Amino acid sequence: MRPTIEKVDFAVDEHIWGHRLYDEQLPHLAVLEFLGVLGSNLDNPLLAGADGKVKYQPQHQIRLRGLLFNNPYVESVRDKDISDDDKWTAWKEHFAQDSTKMGDEDMDYLREVFTKFDDFAKAIELLRSSAFEARSNKRWSSKFVFPFGPDALFEDLRVDSGGAANDRRFFARTGELLYLMLSRAKRGPELGQKLVERLFERSVPMNRLVRALQGPVQTAPNPREVGYLPYAKHPRFDVMCDDWLAILSRDMPIYDALDHLITSAGLNLLLYFLECAKVTAGDVEPVEFVCEIVSRERTKVRALSGDSYQSNQALSQRAIKASVESIKLTDEWANALKSDYPDAECAKLMRARFQWPSADGGDDGEGGGKSGNELVKRLADRAEARHDQHVGKIHAAWAKSIGLSSRRLARRMRYAPNDRLLKTMVLTLVTNRMQFDEFLHVAKKRYGLVIGDAEGARLVKDKKVDQEALSENQSNLESRLVGLGLVRKLSDSCSFVENPFGSGEEE
Amino acid sequence: MNSPMPASPDSAAPPASAWVRFLRSYGPTPTNLNLYDEHVTGALGRAKVKPITLSSPLLEKIKERVASGKPGSILIAGTAGDGKTYHCRSLWSFLGGADKEWSNDSTVKMLTLADGRRAVFVKDLSELSDDQSDEALALMEQTVFGGVDNSIVVAAANHGQILKRLGDLGIREKREHPLRKHIQDAFLLSGTPMDRLAIFDLSHTTHRSSLEEVLKAVSGHEEWDHCGRCTRQWDGRVCPIAENRTRLLGAADGGVFARRLGDLVEVARLNGSHLPVRDMLALVSNMILGHKGKDTKEGLMACSDIARIQDAGTVNKGSLYDNVFGANLPRRRAIDRPVFKALASFGIGDETTNSADGLLVYGNDDAKLAPSFARLVANDSVYGATAAFIAMQKQYLEGEDSARVDGGAGEFLELLVAQRRRLFFTLPDADSDYGHWGMTAFRFAGDYLAMSTALIAKKAMDESTREMLVRGLNRVMTGLLIDNADKIFVASSGGFTQSKVSVLCDTEAPSRRTGGVGLIVKHDPQTERPLLDIALAPGSGNSVTFSLTPVRFEFLCRVAEGALPGSFSNECLEDMLAFKAKLLRKAELIRIQRGAEDEEEAGFGDGALTLKFIEIEQNGHGFSRPVTVRIDA
Repeated sequence: MRPTIEKVDFAVDEHIWGHRLYDEQLPHLAVLEFLGVLGSNLDNPLLAGADGKVKYQPQHQIRLRGLLFNNPYVESVRDKDISDDDKWTAWKEHFAQDSTKMGDEDMDYLREVFTKFDDFAKAIELLRSSAFEARSNKRWSSKFVFPFGPDALFEDLRVDSGGAANDRRFFARTGELLYLMLSRAKRGPELGQKLVERLFERSVPMNRLVRALQGPVQTAPNPREVGYLPYAKHPRFDVMCDDWLAILSRDMPIYDALDHLITSAGLNLLLYFLECAKVTAGDVEPVEFVCEIVSRERTKVRALSGDSYQSNQALSQRAIKASVESIKLTDEWANALKSDYPDAECAKLMRARFQWPSADGGDDGEGGGKSGNELVKRLADRAEARHDQHVGKIHAAWAKSIGLSSRRLARRMRYAPNDRLLKTMVLTLVTNRMQFDEFLHVAKKRYGLVIGDAEGARLVKDKKVDQEALSENQSNLESRLVGLGLVRKLSDSCSFVENPFGSGEEE
Repeated sequence: MNSPMPASPDSAAPPASAWVRFLRSYGPTPTNLNLYDEHVTGALGRAKVKPITLSSPLLEKIKERVASGKPGSILIAGTAGDGKTYHCRSLWSFLGGADKEWSNDSTVKMLTLADGRRAVFVKDLSELSDDQSDEALALMEQTVFGGVDNSIVVAAANHGQILKRLGDLGIREKREHPLRKHIQDAFLLSGTPMDRLAIFDLSHTTHRSSLEEVLKAVSGHEEWDHCGRCTRQWDGRVCPIAENRTRLLGAADGGVFARRLGDLVEVARLNGSHLPVRDMLALVSNMILGHKGKDTKEGLMACSDIARIQDAGTVNKGSLYDNVFGANLPRRRAIDRPVFKALASFGIGDETTNSADGLLVYGNDDAKLAPSFARLVANDSVYGATAAFIAMQKQYLEGEDSARVDGGAGEFLELLVAQRRRLFFTLPDADSDYGHWGMTAFRFAGDYLAMSTALIAKKAMDESTREMLVRGLNRVMTGLLIDNADKIFVASSGGFTQSKVSVLCDTEAPSRRTGGVGLIVKHDPQTERPLLDIALAPGSGNSVTFSLTPVRFEFLCRVAEGALPGSFSNECLEDMLAFKAKLLRKAELIRIQRGAEDEEEAGFGDGALTLKFIEIEQNGHGFSRPVTVRIDA
């Protein structure tokens, strides 16, 4: 019995991937939303309640964000040649003009916090320098502070004269799904404890600074429930959980680890997206990313990596179509067609499965007098059109954001992992050191990455590329990793991938 | 001039030609890649000259080990050209094995030792089939772990080969092969050695002294005496082969050439480029015999070419200084050889300083530069300011525009490259105007080598070098142009440690170790390189180390001088940021530990937070200014 999704015209994507994954919610935004959910569940992190539901009440922290992202006057006031008192007065006036009137009417407490106005300016500058997308032209209420601790977390909002509300533009529930996925992994609770330990420490200096600026916490008015995830279990959830645990176990500062957690989440969520699409479309082959390691000369692998990208790009559309049309293969459908009122029976089945057509005929006058097949076609068209707007763009947007895809030196997009992604992969997969061949093998098994000739054997067999091209691709990766300080070459045919943040003990 | 030889000088075969032809067989020709030992033995037999002998200190150790009767097996590892086959063969002969049996086709050879044990020789693991190698490795395992005392296995293999074979065998037998980890650790210089498996890794043995030995063995070889009778050197004519050989011997320049070459090889080795013995022999052979002329076969001279070269006036194309870098070889062949690839990384010939180029281009013309020019360039009429060079120089300076623009200066620029190379090897050591390291991409390599020598001898390193290191460290850590040499700022930007500018000072450490805290520069015997050791608190386990290779040292010095961290080497920048992250992590751990011990330190009840911002004074001196932020609980 499929659960009903509120506030949607029909439910197709939701039952394949969940409600919901969203293209504009890039991995770092998903992780920020995730941390918000975690922040409300510190007592039993990544554990679903007895009824399997997860609730949370995110923070708003209007004062903090206003000071950081809706406050262009600080520099100009600081640079004026006037007394400290005058500076405060001048700034207060400017700020009051733009304030949201939601708890930020009286900012006088700041004078108690900072001895001088210049110190206040310095603190603001410091926090802005580590913020996400501080310089982008997004609305100020969609800019985020680095998650130093619990006081630095807040949800995305649209702020206007009517108040502040989450319009689900950038916090579209992908972070909520991430929370559910990790809590359904075998080692979820263990991960939850570790995250709470390291990212929710009130007393760390930077969190205290944030708190000083914000003052008392401001939260959303009501708690809410997280979105819907169709799978109680999925191998990808466990892989992602294990990856996160691995990253947290490395001997590096937690704030650096966060960067890698974000990239890892992006990669694993992307794989989840493609894997579910494949299964729905009836394709049993594992997801593959044929990657070109960009080098000076043009190689045959470039064309292949472009083809690989295109083929993955088309997967989700196929899944939508297959999902809608699959209803025609069920026994119930066959029975409905044989019944006395086939049109009505088919419509009932469609409604139960896809929440469409709506019982009262709906605004578009659907449902009356259309045959089952026509209904299926109609829904498929509408679902595909809606899918194209957002969910269909996930592959392109997320692959670019994690550094997996690029158009550099090529006419079309293809898979060409960048340095940051390669670093994250090494840090995640290698405890201390691992032979290079083995690293490639694990990367293929875990993430579907095809770079060398051993993993690309199938492509060679199908005569799509010759072994030498892939072999050169592999050695380009080796040189690249040497350049990143991640590989030690012992001799001509023997090299080791080394994790600079390994624990130092033998693996 | 007296000419005692009755026959016409041009028709008789030059007296040293057999020796020179033999020496060619060591050179970087395209043919002699595999089966090197056999190839050279063959050439030796044909030439009927005395062989080139080199000592092999590791061989003595191997012989000792077998003679001692200790049970267990022997693994001889190394890269191509390290001498694995040579060592195996020598051991075989030493233990009484027959030469004929060694050179037959069998891949696994048996020998009964004097004490009755059976020795199984595998001279190259890669030659064996899967079954044969499984058998040999099984026997090896038994002698090491299974208490089998009556046999020993002597195997020679590449690092990658033996690890792969053990890995594959392990997969076939569905277990982690017990020998694999020990061998891997030995290769990576970690872990403890095993009693019953003696591993001799030839790739760790070559040092500066090995190059010196090879140079002496080749250039001082008795077969060169034949040149004394050769007519090609009469009437003031110069034979490039003899000239090169003489310069290698170093009588005229006090051994400066050999020393500078040794410096290059040493710096390359410390940067991670291992040079096997075969490559050193190829280098020496190429240095003596190399010639850039199109007619010279495979780029290496033979005695029969000399007359032609002299007549064509292209003696300078056989310049020793160009040959060092393989300029006589097609680019592809040069890059394939590790030794030329390593030497090319110095950029000698392309790198230069304003003063050096000024000297080479204007020296002949300019009255102020003339004395230096005469002293440093014109003093060498064979490879320095030759008549051709002077003519080209004049043409470049005084000729029409076409001699300078649109590639018209190409030939002169080529000569310039050759001259720069020569300058690197001939500039006097302590010349105040022209430093020889300035002619390379590693301008500070001289300081590096001096520092390394001082540290090994447990003497204090040069103070100005130390200051440069500290300044470079600070600039990379903070991303600011600060000048401090008194302390090291461990800085962050609050968030990611990898951000370019970090103004928040996490901790400060004195640049000289006091009270157990601060920086110490010392020599690390395991990696054979200098090491930076920064302790953030007294006691063991509170420090982070950073190994200083020549590249990293160069990077820090350049940054100290004002270069942007990202511009010299991205790899070094990554290394340094990883070091910075480790320091910050160590500081974090120390704080947590302190917080757990000291109840009052746990600052939550505390009403204030102190942030230390790094600021810079007018003179570039950085300091941390505390900013207090008052917080209500």
